[in-house]
Amino acid sequence: MAFPEPVLTKRIPLNPADRKKVWYNDYVATGGYKQLRAALDMSGQDIIKTVTDSGLRGRGGAGFSAGQKWSFIPKEKKTTHYLAVNADESEPGTFKDRHLMEWDPHQMLEGIAIACLATQCDIAYVFIRGEFHHGTKVVEQAIKEAYHHGIFGNNVMGTGKKIDCYVHRGAGAYICGEETGMLEAIEGKRGWPRNKPPFPAIAGVFGRPTVINNVETLCCVPHIMERGPAWFKTMGTPSSPGPKLYGMSGHLNRPGVYEHELGITLQQSIDMAGGMKGGAFKGAICGGISMGVLAQHQLDVKLDFDDVRFRGGCLGLGTAGMIVMNEHTNMVRALRNCVRFYAHESCGQCTPCREGSAWMKKILDRIVDGYGKARDLEMLLELEKTMGSMPGTTICGLADGTAWATRTFINKYYDEFAAACPEETTKRVSLPISRGNREVATPMGSNTR
Amino acid sequence: MPWIAEDRRNTRVAQSQPLLTDELKKQIADTYFPRYPNKRACLLPALHMVQHEYNWIPPAAMQEIAEFLEIAPAEVIDTATFYEEYWLKPKGKYLIQVCRSLSCEICDSRKLTDHVCKKYNIEVGETTPDQRFTVVELECLGACGNAPVALINDVMHEDLTPEALDAELNKLPDDPHDYKDPGIKFASGH
Repeated sequence: MAFPEPVLTKRIPLNPADRKKVWYNDYVATGGYKQLRAALDMSGQDIIKTVTDSGLRGRGGAGFSAGQKWSFIPKEKKTTHYLAVNADESEPGTFKDRHLMEWDPHQMLEGIAIACLATQCDIAYVFIRGEFHHGTKVVEQAIKEAYHHGIFGNNVMGTGKKIDCYVHRGAGAYICGEETGMLEAIEGKRGWPRNKPPFPAIAGVFGRPTVINNVETLCCVPHIMERGPAWFKTMGTPSSPGPKLYGMSGHLNRPGVYEHELGITLQQSIDMAGGMKGGAFKGAICGGISMGVLAQHQLDVKLDFDDVRFRGGCLGLGTAGMIVMNEHTNMVRALRNCVRFYAHESCGQCTPCREGSAWMKKILDRIVDGYGKARDLEMLLELEKTMGSMPGTTICGLADGTAWATRTFINKYYDEFAAACPEETTKRVSLPISRGNREVATPMGSNTR
Repeated sequence: MPWIAEDRRNTRVAQSQPLLTDELKKQIADTYFPRYPNKRACLLPALHMVQHEYNWIPPAAMQEIAEFLEIAPAEVIDTATFYEEYWLKPKGKYLIQVCRSLSCEICDSRKLTDHVCKKYNIEVGETTPDQRFTVVELECLGACGNAPVALINDVMHEDLTPEALDAELNKLPDDPHDYKDPGIKFASGH
C-alpha cells in the first residue's frame, strides 16, 4: 500500500501551469512505445495473461477484469476483430479520460496498439463524445503522428502487422457511453443499447467480435507491460489493484484530477483536493451520479471497487468521479438535478426507464417547488425499485443509476427529504406545467430546445 | 377551358443547388468510406460535416445524405433526431451551451445562464432576433473539475463567473469561423 510516484499522470504535472501537451517526440523521449515494441514479440495470449495476472479492473465503471474481457475474444481469428475505445465520458462528475486524452494522448494510443495485438484486432475506433472538441482534435493529431511514425498502419513498427485507429465522434448522447449503445452509434444508428447475449466479444460492432475498453484501462496497459503484474499489485487493495485517477469536483479548494492508488479513504481524497470549501462535509457522489451518495458518517469508506459497495451502500466505485458537497447544499435539489439528468438522457427504449425517470423528475420538481407530500417519498422509493437491469426491467444500467441515486439520497438524508414532504400540507398541490417559461414540462419530459 | 390547367407532367420543381456538394461528398468518401465496412456507419460523420458547413442540418440535406449513403431517408431522420448535438432547425451563429449538471449547479451555473439570458433578453433555448446567439443548457460537459463551464461553439470555457463569461462574449469576432480554440497549438508539423 504505497504510492510513491504518479503512474498514469507521470507526464502530466499536477500544477496546471506546468502542463504541456505530450506529443510523439516527448512521449518517445520519456520511454514511450517501448512496451509496444516488446509486445510485438509476444504472443497475444502472453499479453492477455500478463494483464489478467495484474488484476487490472476496467476503469469505466463496472470494474470488470480487463484481461478476462480480452480472453473472451475468439482465439482463432475467422473475421475482422474490432476494438472500441470508450471515450464517451458523460457521467456528471467524471472528467479523467479527458485529462488523459488532452494531455498525453500517446499513452492511450500505445495501450490501444497493445490491446489490438493481444486480441488480434484490426481496427480500433476511439469513440469520443461530441462535446470534447478540443480532445478530439488532440487525439486526431496524435493518431496522425502515430501513423506517420509507423505505430499504426499496414506495417506496425516494421513488423508487417496491421492496425488501424480512427476517431469516431459522438453527438451528445449519454447513453452512447453504454457499451452496446456505443456500438450502435459507431454503426450510424441511434444509440440504443442492445440486448445481451450475444455479447460484444462474440458479435459486437458490425456483428464482429469487439473489445470495449475505457481510456484509463488502456492507459494502464503499457505500465503493466513495463513493470510487470507484481509491481501493479503493490498498489491498491488485493481485490482492486493499481493506480486510479480521482476526478474531484464540487465544493473543494483545489478541484481537479488527482492520481492515487485505489483504496484510499474518502477523507484522504478530500484532503488531496485541498479540503472542503465553504463549509463542512455533507455528502459526496462517489463515482459519477449513478453510483449514489456517501454521507457524513462514511468518510472512512475506502474508495475501491468493493468497499464502496459493501460498506458504502452505493452501486460501486464507478469512474471515481467525486462530487463533494458541503453543508449548505440542498440535497433535494441535488437529487432533482441527478434525476433530471437521467430523465433527459434516457434513450426511450425501455418503458420503466423512460417513464419512470420522467415521472420521478416531475415529483421532485414538485417537492423542490414546495408542494411535496409524504406520499411522494413513498412513490419515489417504489418507483426506483421497479426500474433498472437489476430488477430486470430494462436493457441497460441507465435506470439503475436513477434508482441508486434516488435510493441512497433519500435513505441517507431522510430527514431533509421528510422535511420537504410534510405529512399534511396546506399548499394546494398542482403539477407545475410551466416553470417560469424556463423549462416547459411535456408528457415526454422537459426539453430545452 | 376557361382556366389554365397546371401542366404537372412537364413541371420541374425548381431544384436549388444541392446542399451536399460534390466537395463534401468527396471529403466524406475519401475520409470516412475507408474507415468502415459499410456506408451507413459514415452517417454520424456526414451529419457532423453538414452541420459544420451550414450550422444546422436542413431536411433536404438529410435526404441527400440518405441518397449518398444508400440508406432510406427515414433511417437518417431516425439517427439524426436521436442525437442532441444535431440541430434540425436553424440556430444562431454562436451556440452558448451552459452545463447544468450537479457539479456545475452547486458551483452556481444558474447565474451564468441567467446572466446570458438577461444580456441578450432571451430564454434558454431561444435565439436572438439577429440570429447571432442561441443559448441552451445541457447536461454534463465533462469538465466538472473546473465548474462552472460553458461551451461557446467549439471552445470550452472553464472556471467561469458571470463577469468572465461576459468578457468572453464581448470578445467574440463577427465571423464564427474566426473563433478558434486558443488551446490548440500543435508542436510538431505532421
